[in-house]
Amino acid sequence: MTSRESGRVKDAEKRRVLDDAARKRRARKAIEALEQDNFHEDPHADLVMSKKVPKFADSNEKPTRKKKAKSAEYYKMRFRKTFAQLVEEDASFRPDPPNYLSAQVPPSKFPDRHFCAVCGFPSNYTCIPCGARYCCVRCLGTHLDTRCLKWTA
Amino acid sequence: MSESSCYILDNGAYTAKAGFSTMEPKVVPNCIMKAKSERRRPFVGSQIEECRDASGLFYILPFQKGFLVNWDTQKTIWDFIFSKECCPVNFSETPLIITEPIYNFSSIQEAITEIFFEEYECQSLLRINATDLAEYHYRKTHNNECTVVVDSGYSYTYIVPYIKGKKYKEGIRRIDVGGKVLTNHLKEILSYRQLNVMEESYVINQAKEDSCFVSQDFMADMEIARRKGSSNTIVKDYVLPDYTTIRRGYLRDIVKPDEDLEQQTLRLNNERFSIPELLFRPSDVGIPQMGIPEAIMHSIEGCPEENKESLLENIVLYGGNTLFPGFRDRVFNEVRAFALDHFEVNVTLGENPVTYAWEGGKLMFRDPDFYSFCMTREEYEEEGKALAFERFDI
Ligand SMILES: [Zn+2]
Ligand SMILES: [Zn+2]
Repeated sequence: MTSRESGRVKDAEKRRVLDDAARKRRARKAIEALEQDNFHEDPHADLVMSKKVPKFADSNEKPTRKKKAKSAEYYKMRFRKTFAQLVEEDASFRPDPPNYLSAQVPPSKFPDRHFCAVCGFPSNYTCIPCGARYCCVRCLGTHLDTRCLKWTA
Repeated sequence: MSESSCYILDNGAYTAKAGFSTMEPKVVPNCIMKAKSERRRPFVGSQIEECRDASGLFYILPFQKGFLVNWDTQKTIWDFIFSKECCPVNFSETPLIITEPIYNFSSIQEAITEIFFEEYECQSLLRINATDLAEYHYRKTHNNECTVVVDSGYSYTYIVPYIKGKKYKEGIRRIDVGGKVLTNHLKEILSYRQLNVMEESYVINQAKEDSCFVSQDFMADMEIARRKGSSNTIVKDYVLPDYTTIRRGYLRDIVKPDEDLEQQTLRLNNERFSIPELLFRPSDVGIPQMGIPEAIMHSIEGCPEENKESLLENIVLYGGNTLFPGFRDRVFNEVRAFALDHFEVNVTLGENPVTYAWEGGKLMFRDPDFYSFCMTREEYEEEGKALAFERFDI
């Protein structure tokens, strides 16, 4: 990239302001990230794992079970349902409140508080391009250099 | 047909508490973990104690958003829990109490009924909410009329009012903040501010447990955390485990640069109290919901007028998050401030908050009517799963 071009890109960056939809998308993604169990891939994903379930010593001295125990895989297939399916099902099982959905608490009556996206201390200022909060010039500089518009969400 | 003991499985989304009513419960991670350092095998439940290097652990959890959805994972962990390696049991001889989340979905309820009667050949089964066991525990030790049970766990915080031992469903409230949100938020801010720990849920969860506290005056603590030098009594370093000499991290005072001990540390300052603060102000991370004390009041507001007094007098807290220092006091102070002056307010931290519900199961087994709460294998065979929906109020 020539210096003239990169200069133009920089100017464009300066003028860019995230619209409301993009800000909402970012906020939603941040909340979704708080729900995740892992942020990396299965470290054994490249291994050819044997399908066999780990065998644990039987609970009884001599096996009293007449029938053969079913595998974990069997129950995975037998009861397979996603969270979304289960919520949908619940709407017909418990159609009227009180139910799972109605139990969620409403928003707080207290006003939202704002914290600096960089250092976590209370903040009084809002970044114009992206709407993030900051507390001082130094934190604003860090924010512009690291996140601000550099994230695509 | 009464046995001398029963088996209690408080099947939480992060830890399962399991054991016979005559013994102490075992707290078992309800997950399968894979380690980068050990490629030979996954670690099931408490096998993780055998893992030499717990950095970069990968979690496989049976629960998603607080509900049991990954059955192969759960079956593998249950097989481990019921085996000699953990806490062996023969359900054809021993009644089972198993806990389920509030408003557990109907097909998950059916699946649990099926798996315990058919796979584990259970003779007597009692499926129940963990909060029911906690309420029973509290009521048997306080002889009170009404109780507000606050269960602050891994996926959610639930507030469940009970009137004369019965759940009052109109008053049930759920906050979508639990231990997982706190650990993930701590990981996120530390990774941005200091060191990439996004893959270290296990270690950062321990750092959270070892370092965080609930502030009694949030803005005042923010001011203390701003101070430089020894007047900042909040700032500490968390020494990270290296799995050679340090197996679990720990909190220590900050040292001057010249006495650097060559350990890898994370500097924790306002993080120490702004993380548990999310339980009190979910909106701090953009979750548009009430915090715990406000939700307790909202729950009680949804209950009959004549029970409000007794409810405010009997608020009991349990679950992993209630272990943060200052948790009870903060709940008490805020509820006290919200409630009308002429009402008395009592907030109790359940003794051993992690196993408080499990211990309730132990007391419930001694209830003279215990067997009438259960469903037997014969009943299951004759009347099927429909009877379970009638008998168990989940
Ligand atoms: Zn700042
Ligand atoms: Zn910005």
